[in-house]
Amino acid sequence: MHDKYGKDDLIVLLGGAEAEASGLAAETVSAGDPTFAGPLAGVSLGLKAYHIVELKDEIDATVYEDQIAMMEMVIDVDAVIAEVANYRG
Amino acid sequence: MGFPVLKGAAYALIHANDITTHQGSTQTSERRLNPDSDYLKELPKHYRTFEQAAAYPPNQVYIGNLEPKALNDIPRPWYENPVKGAVKDVRKGKHGEIMPLDEFIGLIKAVDAFDLVILEEKFQNKMYDVLKAHDVVGAWPFLEKLTKNHSDVATIKDSVDNHGSEPLYYEETLVGCVKKAHAFDEALSSHVMFENLVSKASAAFSLSLLFKNTGLDPADVDYIIECSEEACGDMNQRGGGNFAKSIGETCGCVNATGSDTRGFCAAPTHAMINAAALVKSGVYKNVIVVAGGASTKLGMNGKDHAKKGMPILEDVIGAFAAHIAEDDGTSPIIRTDIVGRHTVGSGASPQAVTQAIVADPLDRAGLKIADIDTFSVEMQNPEVTEPAGAGDVPTANYKMIAALGVMRKEFERTDLNNVVSKIAIPGFAPTQGHIPSGVPMLGHFKDIMEAGKLNRVMIVGKGSLFLGRLTNLFDGVSFVMEKNPGFTTDDSDDSDTSPVKRTKVALTLMGSEHGEAELLRGAELAQANNSDIQVVVIGSKHDTTLKSIVVVDEKEAHARMDSMLKSGELDAAVTMHYNFPIGVSTVGRVVTPAKGKNMLIANTTGTSDTVRNAALLKNTLQGVAVAKACGIARPTVGILNIDGARALERMLEGLKEKGYDINFTESARADGGAVMRGNDLLQGVPDVMVMDSLTGNVMMKTLSAFTTGGSYESIGDGYGPGVGDGYDRIINIISRASGAPVVAGALAFAANCAKGELLKKVNAEFAAAKKAGMDDVLKKFAEVSAPSKSEDSGDDTPTAPPEKIVTTEIPGIEILDLDDAVHVLWRAGIFASSGMGCTGPIVLVAPEDEAQVRKLLTESGHL
Repeated sequence: MHDKYGKDDLIVLLGGAEAEASGLAAETVSAGDPTFAGPLAGVSLGLKAYHIVELKDEIDATVYEDQIAMMEMVIDVDAVIAEVANYRG
Repeated sequence: MGFPVLKGAAYALIHANDITTHQGSTQTSERRLNPDSDYLKELPKHYRTFEQAAAYPPNQVYIGNLEPKALNDIPRPWYENPVKGAVKDVRKGKHGEIMPLDEFIGLIKAVDAFDLVILEEKFQNKMYDVLKAHDVVGAWPFLEKLTKNHSDVATIKDSVDNHGSEPLYYEETLVGCVKKAHAFDEALSSHVMFENLVSKASAAFSLSLLFKNTGLDPADVDYIIECSEEACGDMNQRGGGNFAKSIGETCGCVNATGSDTRGFCAAPTHAMINAAALVKSGVYKNVIVVAGGASTKLGMNGKDHAKKGMPILEDVIGAFAAHIAEDDGTSPIIRTDIVGRHTVGSGASPQAVTQAIVADPLDRAGLKIADIDTFSVEMQNPEVTEPAGAGDVPTANYKMIAALGVMRKEFERTDLNNVVSKIAIPGFAPTQGHIPSGVPMLGHFKDIMEAGKLNRVMIVGKGSLFLGRLTNLFDGVSFVMEKNPGFTTDDSDDSDTSPVKRTKVALTLMGSEHGEAELLRGAELAQANNSDIQVVVIGSKHDTTLKSIVVVDEKEAHARMDSMLKSGELDAAVTMHYNFPIGVSTVGRVVTPAKGKNMLIANTTGTSDTVRNAALLKNTLQGVAVAKACGIARPTVGILNIDGARALERMLEGLKEKGYDINFTESARADGGAVMRGNDLLQGVPDVMVMDSLTGNVMMKTLSAFTTGGSYESIGDGYGPGVGDGYDRIINIISRASGAPVVAGALAFAANCAKGELLKKVNAEFAAAKKAGMDDVLKKFAEVSAPSKSEDSGDDTPTAPPEKIVTTEIPGIEILDLDDAVHVLWRAGIFASSGMGCTGPIVLVAPEDEAQVRKLLTESGHL
């Protein structure tokens, strides 16, 4: 996908329930896998990652209500957004 | 037959540093990829001693020495705050035991049926002596394997180095090995055999602990369901099984067979439901659910623990066993009628998953999330998962349940944290996949329920199926467990040996103005007078020989009654204060005073139709159907002289002309005719007297209570069955003033309706009327609705807002305006539905909407 569309026309959408794990995923697709465990170890794709709760206004309200609203109450939204935004440069 | 019960549960842990090093998959993978890694070098420094692992508070909870909530009072990190006590005291708990690795290696050899395990001679001899003295496994006949087939270290080392055997270390000393079971079959490799023997040995240990805890004789076990995450078989059937039977063999279950159930972490809960179903159905009396642990998962998050300077907390193998049996009157009951399942079509979002597993089964049972005292979810120890970035798993699960409650408007958003702290139990189970999933709380719940401190809990098991690479679907199941009402239902009546099948009719006892004892007296009277029926009572606990179901309130009584009618356990039921949908109304039976003749009154409660003429026509059909079900082949029909009587007569004549068979009677008065006077009412001239249900209700009460001064209805058979085209059950209504003779009559009446196949008779009657042009007749005679109180013309029916659970009844609305009132609320974005209450039509809304609804309906002139 990255090779086909490039980093300007592609964002990565995250759905993690926890800040640290979401940050890890965001870092993996931007700077590279910090754990050096997977195929993106040492590969810096420079992709921007967003957590789904950041895109609430872009999503049909009914769909959001059905799919995300419950988890929005469960996860620490501010912490997740702060952590993910960290890796968007 | 009552519900199956949880007779007991047992839990085992094995402290296994050397297996963590040599067989844990994180470590074996690291050794393969980075053999010289710092992690592997550092690892031994992070190991705990057996004593430390045993005294670790979460492990003490797992084996039952501490209550789970005690963890809330122990400061984190828990590994720095061990439980005080001698090793012998912390090793054994109320629910089980923590075993050191050397003894467990002895057990691995004891359960090895194919002489694959070779132990060093001195080690083997020592373990034989130690295990023979063990209070639980000391009696295993298979311990005798530890008296033979030993070896020396050099031979064992050669087998490991040169012949592909799996090494067995204890405190970093090679003490034995597991040989491969086939020259090249990967499914029988030494590593696979090692994993399977670990699983079998730990499972067998937990099962023996269970026998010790419960006193169950192994020979009394009928069936064993094993639910671990391992697979045993050869290359032609890699998961052929059968762990269950092999475990039963080790533990002396000579009369049992069994099988293995798989479902990743959800498997133990699947197995519990399967076991309960086998007992409930009567297939088996004593079923065991058992699972051993996973050696590969030891040290799974070891890198994170080591990096953070913590001990390797994943140093214990977990196992459990549970015994499910027939109702004993004391053990917690497993509600086989309240089972949740994530289906193929449920969807994958956490919201959809929680809805399917937690909310849907409660909805089906008429319960709310708040009706469940607490939940056993994924009970992983947060001290293990948090350093690895997986957070506090149980707390996340409790938050999801509470958040779903907010979505369903059961709780306010601001109450979310209060709800979580009310239902939450701290996690304590080892991260062994299936082991922490739902089942760790079985033993504790049993203790707390039997101490009377808990009423109803839900056990939830979830599993990630993508790991098997066959599907991306998620999975999960749940069941509800309740405090035993302290009552063994009499199931001797189920083995009915009489040549004629008895009709089963239930009576709900709660809600009467005369008390439950009066209704019970009516039930006993009905049983004494009618040998062809079996009366079941649903209510508080009473001293009675009748089959009884104990419930806490009317709501639960109705839920149980409905579910038993649905499942076919009951043929009919008698109750009060029960709301039928619009379209269903009751046909009562009175004894007319002039000549003591039975007469049906159509109808007595409920609403057949919101249009009066249509309601009267439908009442006629319903009355005739009930009369036919009660054995009157061509019942005579009279129409009480009320508003609309002549129109009804013309409608029925219209149907008669087109072939509908109606048998009008003649008034006993001089001028005759099908329209009946008050005199005909007192004489019981027709078999079926048709009137509107409000008039019928007055007639019922008058004719049932006129001899007693009014407050006690002593005559007749009650308000009769709720009848409507397509309605699927037989529920007869009595009033809160009905006395024992009326109750007894109502039970016999309900039984007659069931025996007379009322539901078929109703459908046949409606089909015959429709064939004769009922729809056209109704159109022709349709009343113009009373001028609407709003601009609702009926054509612009608003769309219903998202559905809510509606439990608050708003009475006082005219029947003709009922739909209109609902639409007023829908337009305001409030979900509402209509129904029939005890005293007339009602609008049903959610409790939190009540104030707003009353305001809106007052403004619109409906109230």
